[in-house]
Amino acid sequence: MNHIVYMSRAVRPLSDQDLQELLDQCRRDNARHNVTGVLFYSHGNIAQLIEGDPSIIEPLFERIARDGRHSHVTKLVDKPIPGRSFSNWSMAFHPLESEGFTALEGFLLPNQVPPTPETLTIADALLVDLVRQAVFGANTPTTPSPNLA
Amino acid sequence: MHDHQLQSILRHMPAGIATLLGPELRYGFVNEAMQALLGGHTPTGEPLAEHRGGLAADLLEVMQQVYLSGRPYVAKAYPFASSDPELPNATATKRYFDLALEPLHDENDQPQGLLLFAVDVTGQEEARQRAHELSLETRRLDARLRVLTETAPQITFTVDAEGQYEYVSPQWYYFTGQPPTADLNAIWPLLIHPDDRLRALYHADAARAAGVGWSFEYRLRRHDGQYRWMLSRALPELHAPDKPVFWHGAVTEVHDQRELSEVLRRGEAELRFLADSIPQLIWTATAEGFIDYYNQHTGDYTGLSAQELGPTGWVALLDSSEQAAAARRWVHSVASGDDYEGLYRMRRHDGQYRWHIIRARQLADSRGLRWFGACTDVDDQHRLREVLQTQYDELARTNRDLDTFVYTASHDLKQPLFNLRGLFEELRRTATFQDPEQEQLLAMVDEALSQLDGTLQELAATVQDQRELAAPTENLDLRSVLEEVLLGLRTQVQEVKATIDLELSAAPTLVYGRANLRSVLHNLLSNALKFADPNRPAHVQIISSISEAGQPQLTVQDNGVGMELRQDPATFFQLFERQNPQVPGAGVGLYLVQRILDSRGGHLEVTSTVGQGTTFTVHWFE
Ligand SMILES: Cc1cc2nc3c(=O)[nH]c(=O)nc-3n(C[C@H](O)[C@H](O)[C@H](O)COP(=O)(O)O)c2cc1C
Repeated sequence: MNHIVYMSRAVRPLSDQDLQELLDQCRRDNARHNVTGVLFYSHGNIAQLIEGDPSIIEPLFERIARDGRHSHVTKLVDKPIPGRSFSNWSMAFHPLESEGFTALEGFLLPNQVPPTPETLTIADALLVDLVRQAVFGANTPTTPSPNLA
Repeated sequence: MHDHQLQSILRHMPAGIATLLGPELRYGFVNEAMQALLGGHTPTGEPLAEHRGGLAADLLEVMQQVYLSGRPYVAKAYPFASSDPELPNATATKRYFDLALEPLHDENDQPQGLLLFAVDVTGQEEARQRAHELSLETRRLDARLRVLTETAPQITFTVDAEGQYEYVSPQWYYFTGQPPTADLNAIWPLLIHPDDRLRALYHADAARAAGVGWSFEYRLRRHDGQYRWMLSRALPELHAPDKPVFWHGAVTEVHDQRELSEVLRRGEAELRFLADSIPQLIWTATAEGFIDYYNQHTGDYTGLSAQELGPTGWVALLDSSEQAAAARRWVHSVASGDDYEGLYRMRRHDGQYRWHIIRARQLADSRGLRWFGACTDVDDQHRLREVLQTQYDELARTNRDLDTFVYTASHDLKQPLFNLRGLFEELRRTATFQDPEQEQLLAMVDEALSQLDGTLQELAATVQDQRELAAPTENLDLRSVLEEVLLGLRTQVQEVKATIDLELSAAPTLVYGRANLRSVLHNLLSNALKFADPNRPAHVQIISSISEAGQPQLTVQDNGVGMELRQDPATFFQLFERQNPQVPGAGVGLYLVQRILDSRGGHLEVTSTVGQGTTFTVHWFE
């Protein structure tokens, strides 16, 4: 079991429709391949954590990195982990029209992002808290990781 | 050839033909092409002026002139805005015709009319116009290119496949200071720095041979003799399918940039070298807080590579109890831009934790906002401080002990001295001395006693400096120490006819400083005797026992006058506080007792009822 965390920039702002398509496709494909994690998006800033079998997520990351919708993909960490910290795959962002989204499986508003899981080491929890802060800014009221509390 | 056959040919000719007859230029023969040109309506015998279709007024006028003058005229590329009836929305396409106007004469050479002959030259005309526009554009581009090449700060050039210069912009002459007559091909290579010449020529030749462009740097001699770094770039002009015949390029002075980047490179290298050689953990982080550089020493200290540490791995090096707070503080600093500072234990490669001060500050460099951090090993200082602190604590305690000892000793000695003084006065009063020398002897004893008193007081002041006089503890038999003390208080015991009961079997011994124990017992007993009720014989009970907490304790109970206890027991024992003003010396003793007990971690409790007595309980160690 490995996890990969990266940050990137969308080449142009993603519309609600872009985001929903990405959400649908990733929910479907990730569930199929046992990939779990979370994606943060705000104002063109992207950060994502994926966890799963290295034989699955390594090529997935390669594919994501080549995706023309974003650039400046910087891998922050790619290493073995003792177990999953996320039970499924979800995406957190601010849609322009939130009505249609709130009911969607796997969708979260940035301030609803649950605390960074305690199963992560403090170094990894710090990493996730930093990327979340980098995407959503310092002022989004999010619950900090309980291991950092 | 038959006339109507001829007519048929003329009618279908792809050129327009018409005859216009008489001074009114009436329509005669008009073939199809001409009819189309004139808008389709050419009623025979009608004057042209009344049905002129698309014909412009000026052309009509010219026709009349030709008719009158009898001189033929050819209008070249004359435009007709033909409204082609076949095109539905009549897009007025402009067409061009060479129009020949030929006067017709009768047999008598009298003007008869005009022969109009129109050949469509639209294709040629458009081509001509395009060529014209193209040449205008080319001239414009040429001018622009010229301005650009001659005003840009670069030297521009064109060189052929053999390496012969076809063109070089005037900047070359300005830069090199060569006269316009200089032989470019001979001189240029000579102006290249000898160390760079071969390389530069080789690069250019090799690129030309391969049919590709080039980009390289070399030093070129400036007019003032200085060699300056230049960047030469060129691209081949391709004329497929042939090999390129020309290379066009520019030579740009990059001396300052090169020097600067050289300085920067050197600066960066020097900084790296510095950062890598100092025995501190140095690192930098992105604006988002991800560490992107650890110096050499970090690897040496942690035994981990930058890869293994990762962007946040540093936090895992801290003592596990400190990680969460350190991480939280870092998130906060990154969010707010506040400096980061903290004292943490950091794990070394061998598992030992050493104290470090971690400091980081956000600064702006060429790449934007970044964090610069350092972890300074302060373990030795920290340990030294801890040792010093322990030593300081020990010294402070010893000091207190000494302090106590001084009070105790001076106080303890005062009583026997007081007794001695009393005995001496009694002796003086009752004994008679015949020998005057004996009287003198008495005076000497008196003086000696006063001296002793003075010395005792001085001792109280000076003995404080005698650091070596610590009070060692030993296992003491309570009964023997008590008997010693009671012996010293013999007079007072007799004075109040006191009975003293000792009940020590529950805790017969005590580990304590001998002098301190004696002082405590002496003071409590003398207190009990001092405050004896004159109306009844004194009875003092001394009980040694073990408290509920399992610690030794001592109770001294008297049946004396008792005292009024104040609300706050802490102030009760204040130095020189006098409970009973009629009894001298009360208070000091209790103060001493309390100090002694204090210094050994114990305390004193008191209960008292006026008219019935007082009970002191000594908790030696709790
Ligand atoms: C920011 C971002 C995150 C993505 N995350 C995932 C993901 O978690 N899982 C996934 O299957 N595809 C993800 N994709 C989509 C992939 O890049 C790719 O489009 C998708 O896997 C389909 O690839 P294919 O067309 O080559 O089959 C992501 C794309 C972007 C731009």
